This record gives sequence, C-alpha cells and structure tokens, in this order.
Amino acid sequence: MIQIENLVKRYGELVAVDHLNLEIREGEIFGLLGPNGCGKTTTINCLLALLKYDKGSIRIFGKEMAPDSYEIKRNIGVVMQNVAVFKQLTVYENIDYFCGLYVPEKKERKRLVEEAISFVGLEQFAKTKPGKLSGGLLRRLNIACGIAHKPKLIILDEPTVAVDPQSRNKILEGIQELNRQGSTVIYTSHYMEEVEQICTRIAILDHGRILATGTTEELKGMIKTGEIITIDAISLDERQLAEIRELPHVFELTYEEQRLTLRLSSARHNLVRILTYLQEQDLQFGRVFSEMPTLNDVFLEITGTGLRD
Amino acid sequence: MKVFKGFLMMLKRNLHVVVMYLAIFLTILVMIQTLAGGKELVRFEAERLNIAVIDRDQGVLAKGLAEYLGNYHDLVDVEDDPAVIQEELFYRNLYYVVTIPEGFEEKVLEQGEKLAVTTVPGTMSTYYVDQQINTYLNGARMMTNAGFSTEETVQELLAAAKTEPVVELLDQNGHGGERPAFSYLFQYLPYLMLAAICYSMCFILIEFRQGDIRRRMLCSAVSLRSQNVQILLGFLVAGIGLWAFCMLIPVVMYGKAFWGDANAGYYLVNSFVLMLVSLSIAFTLGCLIPQGDSADTMVNGAVNVISLGMCFSCGVFVPMEILSSGVRRVAQFLPVYWYETVNEMLAEHAAFSGEQLAEIYKGYGIQVLFAAAIVLVGMAFSKTREREIG
Repeated sequence: MIQIENLVKRYGELVAVDHLNLEIREGEIFGLLGPNGCGKTTTINCLLALLKYDKGSIRIFGKEMAPDSYEIKRNIGVVMQNVAVFKQLTVYENIDYFCGLYVPEKKERKRLVEEAISFVGLEQFAKTKPGKLSGGLLRRLNIACGIAHKPKLIILDEPTVAVDPQSRNKILEGIQELNRQGSTVIYTSHYMEEVEQICTRIAILDHGRILATGTTEELKGMIKTGEIITIDAISLDERQLAEIRELPHVFELTYEEQRLTLRLSSARHNLVRILTYLQEQDLQFGRVFSEMPTLNDVFLEITGTGLRD
Repeated sequence: MKVFKGFLMMLKRNLHVVVMYLAIFLTILVMIQTLAGGKELVRFEAERLNIAVIDRDQGVLAKGLAEYLGNYHDLVDVEDDPAVIQEELFYRNLYYVVTIPEGFEEKVLEQGEKLAVTTVPGTMSTYYVDQQINTYLNGARMMTNAGFSTEETVQELLAAAKTEPVVELLDQNGHGGERPAFSYLFQYLPYLMLAAICYSMCFILIEFRQGDIRRRMLCSAVSLRSQNVQILLGFLVAGIGLWAFCMLIPVVMYGKAFWGDANAGYYLVNSFVLMLVSLSIAFTLGCLIPQGDSADTMVNGAVNVISLGMCFSCGVFVPMEILSSGVRRVAQFLPVYWYETVNEMLAEHAAFSGEQLAEIYKGYGIQVLFAAAIVLVGMAFSKTREREIG
C-alpha cells in the first residue's frame, strides 16, 4: 500500500530523515516507534506531502504522492499530534466540517458523522463546543475528525499524548476496531507499550533511520536478551556474583541496592537454575520477577540508549 | 464549498459581536444627532426668564431699560421688599431682579455705579441678563456722549433690540449650507466597520490558520487554491453583508434625504472602500496573532488600539477641524484619515469641480492602496509562519 524509498529530509545541517526505506502492507497496523525527535512526524509529514523532501520517493496506493494528489488524499485520514479542531464549532459541526472536505454529499456525510460520533463515544457531547470537553474527549473528537470519511489509510501521529489511561484504552481499542473494519493504520508513538499492544508490525526509528522492522516477536528475536530475572537478595558477595555470572545463558548481571538483575539469553529453566543456586548457597531472597524483553529492551540493545532518553 | 460554509458558520457564531458594535454605533449616532441637530439653540432662545425690574428712578432711561429687557424676558411685577423678593427667588417665580436706583442716569451712566442685582444662585442663564444690561448701558453711554438726547437714545436702543439679524448660510451642499444629518452616520462608520469586522473576522482567521488545522486541511481532498479562494469568498461575503446592512441604516433613517442626495453614490463608494480597508486589517491581524490561550486578549487589545486609535486621530470622534496640524500630519499615514477627508468634502459640497473630484478619487485610491499594502504585510507574515510550521 505504501512504499517509501530512500527518503531524505534535511533541515539545514540536520538530517531529520536519513535514507529511510519502508513498505507498509494493506490491512496492517504499522507502528513507527522511536524517541521524541527521531523523525517520526517528519516522515509522516513527507508521506502526506506536507513537507518537501530532499531525496527519495513515496508511493501510496501505487501512485506517486504529491501535494496535488487529491485522489490519494481522498482515501487518507489524518489524526494530528495536537488536537486540531475549531473552538467555535460544536463536536458535530467539527466532524461534519472535516468530513465535508472529503464527502460532498450531505446525506451521506450525515450518516458518516453520526457513525463517527458513535464510534468515539461522543453522542452526549454532539452539541458541545471543544472548550468544554476534557483532554481525553478532545482526543476522541480529534480522532473522529480524521476518520469520519472512512478512509482506507489512517495515519495517527501520537494520538494518546497527555491522555488519561481510560481514554487511552478507548482510543487504542478504537484503532484496532478501525483496522478490523478494513483500514490500514500507521501509528506513531514513543509509548512502546501501546505500539506493542496494537501494532501488527513495527519499525524502530532513531536519528531519522530505521533500525529494525518486524512483528513484536521478530524484533524481540533480534536481540540477545530472552529473559530478564530480578531478585531481591540480601548480601551477595563478589564470589557469589561471579559464580552467578558464570551460570549458563547469563550474559549480564547487575547488583544494586540488594537487587540482582540478570539478563539471560532465551533458554528453558533459566529461573529454576538461578533459584537452585541461591538455595544451595543458603542465601535469603525475597521477591522474584521473570520478564520477557520489551520493545524498550529491543531499543536499548539496538541503540545503547533507553527509548525515553 | 465546505470551507466557505464553515467560514460562514463561524461568522454566525460571532454575529453577537457585530450586533453589539452596531448597537454602540447607533447609540452614538443618535446621541450626536440629538446634540448637533440645532435643538440646543432652540431651547436657549425659548428660555425666557422671569425677571423683575424695580424702578426707583422712573426716568426715561430707566423705563427704557425695563422695556429693553422685556424684549428678551418676561417681566414680572414684584413688591420692592427684600423679603418678598427672596421668597419669589426661592420658589423660582423669579430668576433675576434688577433695582434701578434714583438718579440712575447720573449715578450709573456718568459715575459708573453698578446696578443692584439679585439672582437665583448657580443659574447660568442670568449671565445673559447681565450681558443684556451691559449692552444697554454701554449703548446709552455711547449715544449720550455722542450728543443724542435721552429719548433718542432709548428709542434707538429699543429699535436695535427688536431687530433680528438675518443669517443666510451659503448653500454649497444642497442642504441649506448645513451639514446633512446622514453625514454624521458616515463620519462614525469607521468605528463600526473596523471594530465589528476585525473582531468577528480575526477570530475566524486565527482558527483557520492554526498550525494543525491548516495541516489537516492541507491533507484533505480539497486543493489549497480552492481553500484559499473559499476563505477569501467568506471574507468578502461577510464584509459586503455588513456594508450592505450599514447602508440600509441611512436609507431607513433618512429616506429620500439620503438616496436623493447628489453625493449618495460617492458616500457608498467611500464606505465600500473603507470596508475593504477593514477587511484587510482583519486579515493581517488574523495572520499576525498566533492561536493560543492569549489570542482572545491579543485580538481585543489590537482591535481596540487600531479602531479607537484611528477614530480619535483621523477625525471620526473628534472633528477634523479641531485636530491639531501635528495630529493631522500623522493621521495622513492612516487610511481612515482619507476616508474622513472624502466624507468631509461630500458633506460640504453638492457639486464638485474637477480638482475636487480628483481629491475624492485620490481619497478612494489611497484607501485601496492602504488595503493592498496591509494585505501584503499579512501575506508576507503568513508565508514566514508557514515556513516555520513546515
């Protein structure tokens, strides 16, 4: 559905997008994951022909994307990072206005607007002006304005920034529902949990470059860490730490403030082996956690820095 | 035409501002017309005071003074008793009592003694009686010194009092030389145009130009050109709508006096050009003021400074002839000055020489140039900001 080839966008000396290649398939929820300033929004702006880029090509629905590609734009819905609605119009009027930029027929538009209002759960607020809505409801209105015309491709640029957990869940469920209804979704975020939760494929961006692309499992499979074990253990000495470090599959150990954190490559019975060792040494230990690696771990291992750095 | 319809929908939301300014405008207009409509003069003339003349002299000159004052005021008989006089003054049956002493001619005319006068305190009108008495005494003094007899002097002074001067105004504008009433409406029109148009349009434009709304619209299936044309159309429709409504006011209030006036067409063109200037200012303010929580305050401040500033310095609230030459020189750099210059000419003349017509067209032209320059400033700023957003 979307092919981006060798995309380069510079702002003076700064290379915001650096030879970026990407293919997004129909029916996907594609996540663009990266820290703030990594080039996600610039990529989206290039994709929407809002920005002129220096090099490369962008094809959407098999056609070259340009500022005057109105036939392509007709099938794209955009949800901006900031809430982009008119303060003086009501919820209904806002959705109707933005839907009207795609759907000229009044009757058809009325149906679509009502569906969009129902979809984001703003039925009670149809006649309310945005100024009287909470942050979460505003975000929902923002989404409704972008998706009311039932586009084939929906681009959501960090739609959950500064949203309470309840509204965030509602938004994420809504995005999955849109996907189920047949829309392809591009979702940018720096919240790895969200991307992990809803995206079928993910690209990790940093400094304008794609570091890795794949499903969550594929990305996790790309890194050495298979399991992270954390144990509250008292008074481990240097000899014991050295012995633990030598246990099979352990490749990284930290012991700070009575907490032992181990990174191990993927293998069976890792936790049992560690606990057996502690028992044999007659060491006291408290809480034990065994976690699978997250996308943050993937990012950490690939870039050497945390996702929120 | 969704952008155009959206523009009009937002304009509808701001109509209360237009109505508010319209109400202020009409109130000012009615007030000014009441004050300037000559009614004050009529009331002054009609205000004949109840006065009393206590004549202890009974001479020809004293009787002449009483008769002289009787031309201007109503003479009331009163007893020559201070208590009675005080009572009459207290109950406002009398406002002024002049006592003519015995030997009036000798004491007052020759020795310059002042007449004893009792008045109601704080009544401004009594000063006019003082003036009238002084006029009579000065006249009498002059004429007797010139050799006229007392009888002749009194006769002449009474004849002069009965003669009313005839003032004929030079009729240059078809309204008997007086300023036509509807010209006041056009004089104050810049305040309504500037304030109502800038307030209502500014907020709409600021919303349309907000970064993310702009981006969202650029992503849509409507071309940028079409969007801009529709916004421009919205601007013009709103401006022309307000202008047309404003032009109904003189038609309704003054009827044939306005539309039958030889200059009605010139007035219409002048106010239309003013509307264009107001639109251009609203456009530029909409481009300059950023969207945000402080936008309302900034629009309020800017519109007040611009509308009131221009109205006070360009002859709207303060007539041009009262403005100092320095203010007028500075005002030439403001479009409303040229509007008022044309307005003044239209109010004062019914027919124009070639030179005067050239002045009128120059006024129109300068206003159009101002409008174009102001729009260009707005567009330049808008481009710069779009580049920053991009």
